[in-house]
Amino acid sequence: MKNTLTFLVLLLCSAVSTLDAQQFISRAGHVRFFSSTPLEDIEAETVQMSAILDAGKNGGFAFQIPILTFHFDKALMEEHFNESYLESEKHPRATFEGAILNWEDLNPTGDWQDVVASGNLNVHGVSQTRTIQGQMQFNAGSWEIRAQFDVLTADHEIRIPKMVRNQIAESITVYVDAVLTPR
Amino acid sequence: MLDALDTEPTAHPVTATFKDTRVINMQSNETPGAGVLHFVIAHRFGRINEGAYSLWGLDNASMRMGFDYGLTDRWTLGVGRSTFQKTYEASIKGKLFLQKSDNSVPVSVTYYGVIMANGLRWQEPDRENLFSSRLSYVNQLIVTRKINDRTSLAVVPSFIHRNLVDITSKSHDQWTLGLGGRHKLTHRVSINSEYHFLVNGLDEATTNSLSLGVDIETGGHVFQLHITNSQGMFERAFLTETIGTWLDGDLFFGFNLSRVFS
Repeated sequence: MKNTLTFLVLLLCSAVSTLDAQQFISRAGHVRFFSSTPLEDIEAETVQMSAILDAGKNGGFAFQIPILTFHFDKALMEEHFNESYLESEKHPRATFEGAILNWEDLNPTGDWQDVVASGNLNVHGVSQTRTIQGQMQFNAGSWEIRAQFDVLTADHEIRIPKMVRNQIAESITVYVDAVLTPR
Repeated sequence: MLDALDTEPTAHPVTATFKDTRVINMQSNETPGAGVLHFVIAHRFGRINEGAYSLWGLDNASMRMGFDYGLTDRWTLGVGRSTFQKTYEASIKGKLFLQKSDNSVPVSVTYYGVIMANGLRWQEPDRENLFSSRLSYVNQLIVTRKINDRTSLAVVPSFIHRNLVDITSKSHDQWTLGLGGRHKLTHRVSINSEYHFLVNGLDEATTNSLSLGVDIETGGHVFQLHITNSQGMFERAFLTETIGTWLDGDLFFGFNLSRVFS
């Protein structure tokens, strides 16, 4: 009797986890961005991106980056980034919400495969429809993603005054990587 | 889908309460941060009511330079030198409490302590003069609150001690209460003000210090332009040795220019 009960509980648990495995999630994704000009290179990173992948038919995908967690080498840069450029109190998160367009063609194998994600990228409270190239692989039960894309400050109404325009690039390169485990 | 990612927002310390380490004359809650050298060069020109002959005070500049080094993100050591009474300063500043975004800590509390040494030659070198007579001390608690993304306020009680007073009837100890604020006009420009109330007045000639100014930030530099009735730029001087009044036009135009090196 006891054994049967244990078996049933285990069965139930596995059934639930199979259902849940439809979604993969990360709360410790890594984001790094880079601004390069002849005068100054600026770099910042965070390991607090959260991301979610819906492994159902449509390959829905979203991520969210808490802007205040970006860390810079120079304290003053971090302050200016939050105060003057990204206005982090007003717009605390950058988000992407969309889908992996070629989700159906992906194989759950340990090879990096090219993917294309399309959706809305919201930075500084301004949304832009974007198509972003990246790569994914299925490794030890988790989906790993990585991508590199450019964000134009003008696209998101991030105003850069003339006097620092030669120190801050108009186009910021963003690198994203994360390991999404079954939810 | 994004909803699934939402978590309780975590409380973080409020940043950028003031643009620079000083409101105008007095210290703000800000510190340079770990490993950052903050250099400030400041001028106060002569009295504006000296008139056209001395170009409304511009002929007579009093200068201060200071170096503050961030030991940690919270603690800073500083040295300074003013032409006013050839005064040397050594200071320590530390953030004791940080205002939190969720108001679990509603204000920031910062300590500032400075020892000032008068560097003038002894008036009577023939008699016995003690080095300790040159020294005075100020201890402050700087209580600040960033009310919203534009407006911040500071309340600063100060305790001033002089080892030597010029008239024996004067007290060695004074208390002042300072009020300060800034209001951002744009991301890079703010207007600032501060007022220091002498809790136990020194003598009839001493007045309360009132300063109005503008902060302009240009990336690595902060320019602070102001008008004040205090010419001294270290704590003892502007807190307790201000003698002019705004109504009589005993005003000094001045600026602080700061630059960080990291």
